[in-house]
Amino acid sequence: MYSLIVTRRRLLAVFVAAAGALLALLLLWRPARLARLTSRLFKPRLDPTTPTGSLSESELDTILAFAALLVEGRELSAEERGYLVEHVSERTAKTPGYLALYRKTAGVLDGLAAGRFRSLPFAERVNLITRHGLTRYDVRIREHLLPVRREILAVRALAVPDLIGGYYASPAGWAAVGYATFPGRCGELARYTRAEA
Amino acid sequence: MTLTARGETRETEVCIIGAGAAGGIMALELARRGIRVTVLESGPRHDFARRADYTRRFIKGENPWQSRLPGLDRHTTSGDVEYRLEWNRARGVGGSTLHWEGYALRFHADDFRMRSLHGTAEDWPLSYDDLEPYYGRAERALGVAGTSDDPWASPRSTAFPLPAFPMSFSDGLFTDACRRLGIGLHHLPQARNSIAYGGRMQCRACGTCHVCPTGAKASTDLTHIPQAESTGYAYVLTEMTVLRLEADRGGLVRSAVYAGSDRRERRLTARVFVVAAGGVETARLLLLSASPDFPNGIANWSGLVGRYFTSHPLIDVTGRVDTRVYPYRTGFSTAMSNQFAARRDRKKRGAFYLEFMNSAGPLPHQIAASSGAWGPELAKRVREEFGRTLGIRVYTEQLPDTGNSVTLDGTVKDYFGNPVPRLTYGIGPYERAAMAEAQEVAEGILRALGAKDIRTGAAWYASHQLGTHRMGRAPTSSVVDQNLRAHDVPNLYLVGGGCFVTASASQPTLTIAALAIRAAEHIAEVLRGA
Repeated sequence: MYSLIVTRRRLLAVFVAAAGALLALLLLWRPARLARLTSRLFKPRLDPTTPTGSLSESELDTILAFAALLVEGRELSAEERGYLVEHVSERTAKTPGYLALYRKTAGVLDGLAAGRFRSLPFAERVNLITRHGLTRYDVRIREHLLPVRREILAVRALAVPDLIGGYYASPAGWAAVGYATFPGRCGELARYTRAEA
Repeated sequence: MTLTARGETRETEVCIIGAGAAGGIMALELARRGIRVTVLESGPRHDFARRADYTRRFIKGENPWQSRLPGLDRHTTSGDVEYRLEWNRARGVGGSTLHWEGYALRFHADDFRMRSLHGTAEDWPLSYDDLEPYYGRAERALGVAGTSDDPWASPRSTAFPLPAFPMSFSDGLFTDACRRLGIGLHHLPQARNSIAYGGRMQCRACGTCHVCPTGAKASTDLTHIPQAESTGYAYVLTEMTVLRLEADRGGLVRSAVYAGSDRRERRLTARVFVVAAGGVETARLLLLSASPDFPNGIANWSGLVGRYFTSHPLIDVTGRVDTRVYPYRTGFSTAMSNQFAARRDRKKRGAFYLEFMNSAGPLPHQIAASSGAWGPELAKRVREEFGRTLGIRVYTEQLPDTGNSVTLDGTVKDYFGNPVPRLTYGIGPYERAAMAEAQEVAEGILRALGAKDIRTGAAWYASHQLGTHRMGRAPTSSVVDQNLRAHDVPNLYLVGGGCFVTASASQPTLTIAALAIRAAEHIAEVLRGA
């Protein structure tokens, strides 16, 4: 005979089972909607209430040391660094949320390095960012539910794509595809009539 | 300078509201005939020396042509398709010619006779032949580059003033495929300097035609307004927004009430008023000018002001090819096909033309951001993926529909406290049937090129705001006559795309220019006669 006495443990078990069943039902019924809901609830976002401004020189150096690994996998020339400096500076100065994001990113990197990330040798920097998954910027929805540090997710989901996008939108991106002149830089008119050398 | 001021009231012979394509052209046409003109322009005079900065801002995703006054560009939308104005109009001396693509197409003779030929919409009160000499003059004034290789073009009495832009590398690929399919491909005429012309330099393929850094693309701030001012008969007041027109009991407009950023009202009196503020703002100004004598707004006895808001629905069809096609080396296209734009049955579906795009597919940063790669692999991926997309853009004719409109939305106010325009817009079955046919044609061309992953983007619309003060013979079914004079206000002219009766598939600016020259000629005759 089953006892009808409702113990706290039994109540908890029933609650967990019901929640699990509900989640399973939702997953089967509307997986896309559930994914969207999860993403909406947990996806890292820029905080538009934070102020705009400039990073300190050391913070900017840390960001550049990180970006160089991401965008080219090598140390950047002064010109290439200049494109990134322009991009990051414009972001932090004009769009609320980016100053806090990049400040947080520099903090995360120094935290992982247990010191100055920018002072680490190149190979160690590569090792560090791959070990901590900072190169995986296509954050999966399920990762939002896993016990991954929110700061790391914010760096992956927001800072990394912004650095990559900013760099490849600059003349460096056009240089990568072999264009010396490109939208915004005028050149010889007839060039568009022939294949590139 | 012949402008006189009496306290808060100035007076002139002709007051033109708007210094864009139509207003700029009219200012020159009247001033060169010795008629005193004052142009009231809501936007600033954009300093040409700042074009490099504007280009940089444009590349960063900003629209440098928007108003600096907060709320002045505010508007609301309704209807099946949300027609937004943020990137679809420009404020300042030059107006929409500041940001236009520069495509300078004539309409076809058929376009003026939709009712007679196809039993749909209305005929224009003038014909292609009536407008043909003015097309030639507009082409010379704007500096149109082209060649007569379009077999579907209506006859022309003058040659293009500038040689055509050569076909692009990707045009060569399209030409081969089109030839195999029996589709005619020809040059795309454009008001852009293929050689130095009119004191402006040859195009240098800067790739940012929305903001032309060199001035090679014609815009009336460079082509017409300076010439008009140099006559000594034209005066341009910038950053002055006209709030309403005031009419007397006799039904004539007596003054334009305008204000600057200080919101202080001033008046300009004139013998003749020309509203050339674009299809949205011209209609809005007429509606804002309601008074006890004109309860529905000025020139709105027909009730048609703001009705028949029309544009050109667009689709882009793209496909991936194995070969490199070297896109993004110009900001404009050089080849098109008018095969489906004229001489066809247009009773059930619209005309359309094909633009063979010189720039399509993802940009380097878009490839990078979506690649998921990093480091050396990322750079390699960008290099390999870039430049393998071909695209065809389709411009479709839209039928006038009273359901599409520009009205006043009293729930939202602009900088001056006036109701903002509400744009109600939809794309109907007539246009969708043409788009379906166009999609099939474009996909066929891409398939003939061996393209894979052929995709058609969602339907959207061009920056053309037409039909809101349509032209016609009868005051009951139109707002202006063939000279663009308002039927019910004899000293008021409404110029620009708003006067179009039907939209054609062609870009509207050259027709706007030709009609403006013709209307200016008429106004000069009226004033001289008087």
